[in-house]
Amino acid sequence: MTKQTETALKPAAPGVRQALGTTIGEFHGVERARGEVIIEFDHVDKAFGENVVYRDLCLDVKLGETLTIIGGSGQGKSVCLKLMIGLLRPEAGKVFYYGADVTEMNAKQLREVRMRVSMVFQGGALFDSMSIERNVGYALREHTDMGDEEIRERARESLTLVGLSPDTHHGIMEQMPASLSGGMRKRVALARSIALRPEVILYDEPTTGLDPSNCNRIARMIRKLQHELGVTSIVVTHDMTTAWYVADRVAMLYDQRFPYVAEVDEFRKIEDPVVRDFIEGRTTR
Amino acid sequence: MTTPEQPTPAPAPAPAPAPAPAPDANGQSLGALIRELITGFGDNITSMVKWTGGMAVMFGQAVFRGPRRPLGLFDISYQLLQLGIRSLPLTTLMSIFVGMILAWQFGEALTDFGAKSAIGYVTSLALVRELVPTLLAVTVGTKMATGMTAELGSMKVTEQIDAIAALGADPIKKLVWPRLIAATIAMPLLVALGNVIAMVGGMIISDTVFDVPAGYFYATYIDELEPMHYVMSQTKALVFGGLAGLVGCYQGFSTKFGTEAVGQSTTETVIAVSVSVLLADFALTTIFMPIG
Repeated sequence: MTKQTETALKPAAPGVRQALGTTIGEFHGVERARGEVIIEFDHVDKAFGENVVYRDLCLDVKLGETLTIIGGSGQGKSVCLKLMIGLLRPEAGKVFYYGADVTEMNAKQLREVRMRVSMVFQGGALFDSMSIERNVGYALREHTDMGDEEIRERARESLTLVGLSPDTHHGIMEQMPASLSGGMRKRVALARSIALRPEVILYDEPTTGLDPSNCNRIARMIRKLQHELGVTSIVVTHDMTTAWYVADRVAMLYDQRFPYVAEVDEFRKIEDPVVRDFIEGRTTR
Repeated sequence: MTTPEQPTPAPAPAPAPAPAPAPDANGQSLGALIRELITGFGDNITSMVKWTGGMAVMFGQAVFRGPRRPLGLFDISYQLLQLGIRSLPLTTLMSIFVGMILAWQFGEALTDFGAKSAIGYVTSLALVRELVPTLLAVTVGTKMATGMTAELGSMKVTEQIDAIAALGADPIKKLVWPRLIAATIAMPLLVALGNVIAMVGGMIISDTVFDVPAGYFYATYIDELEPMHYVMSQTKALVFGGLAGLVGCYQGFSTKFGTEAVGQSTTETVIAVSVSVLLADFALTTIFMPIG
């Protein structure tokens, strides 16, 4: 294992990570440097009843990168994210996180992974019955011994990072999710997922249903979090503007696999009609 | 000279085709109908086994993971408030009317035999051992369970349950355990209250309709009851409460996609709670009858 981690990554938000005992680039003694593979899909098969979603699917995610997953609706892009954190289990194959097989993990081990890999759900999935402050501080209450005041401060910090500072958005901490707009809900969901200062953030269609300016705002947020917190991001989207803007690499899901995976510039040059049709929005096939 | 044409021999008659099964009004054969019926019956059995197995697994998970620290006392007390305190009006209404109706029915029958003074004796056993726990389970228990199904089903549809798991928490511990415990505690308390109110209902009818003094009704009512009858009543309430909590949570967790699925799950919960309460009631009565 290489030991460049400390120099390669920013020690952002050491307080929370210290409280949780999480470190970027290291998991149970296994270290990875920026650019090395941390998540790996190894010949994964997944089906829901008779509907086969993946067959022999392979994919690598590298530390520190933003990987965008594109593909048609209903092809199983979100399933990929849920497999990464063990919310779903494959029928065959393995999903590795730092070399540890997520599909074989017990509840305690999965909890450890989920404290490091957080997910922003498509609709935000904010808890309706809780205020914004409690939503954002939920994971901290679950996993740390922090007091109410400290959690409140961390929630405030996370909201500020996503552009919803309580100084400019008065009373937001006490508001309920139902009183927020779609764009704000997505940003609060993002704030909730970064409250634990995760190593990896999984975004499930973060810009779906938003107007162009909010799409732009969320895309900038994803970039900003990558730079400021040093997180690895996996963004599932079919919005190509967002995909090009946030991605370091792009993977296209097609025919139950990822046949096209490349860095953004290379991906844009792919001449395969399947890729061209998708990224140009053509309906010739 | 031309030879007269030989008549070509008549072809051997083809074997008569097997008579086609008589189609029914919709054009389906009887055999197909029977096959469909049997398949449907098999499917129902399979889904019932799956449903029961799923509930057993959820119950096991809740009992295994729930008591671990932190116990979630805040969540349990919040659910107790939601399920218990908010069910007080319905419990009161149901109990008083059950008490009044039963006393009236028994009173009419006893008057014919000139035994209306026994109204308290007769009413007490039926109310405490059977009617109050069962009727409250079917009404209040169903209300609790459908509330849980609707809430958890909506959470499932909007991925909030996945979000809890994704944030490293345990949905069974956070959502099922408090509801299960709260329902199991709330139902015996509500039944205890219901027993008292049903008795008051009986007293009112006894006094006003049959001229049997309320005090006499009370004395005979209490005189007839033995400790085992209270145990029976409370045990039934405990089991019914647990069943309502479990069915409500399981139905919520197994809700499929879309808002329509939430409605469907909630409707199924009504049936499931009612049927399982009656089955459990029969089983418990079978156990308790020889004892008390």
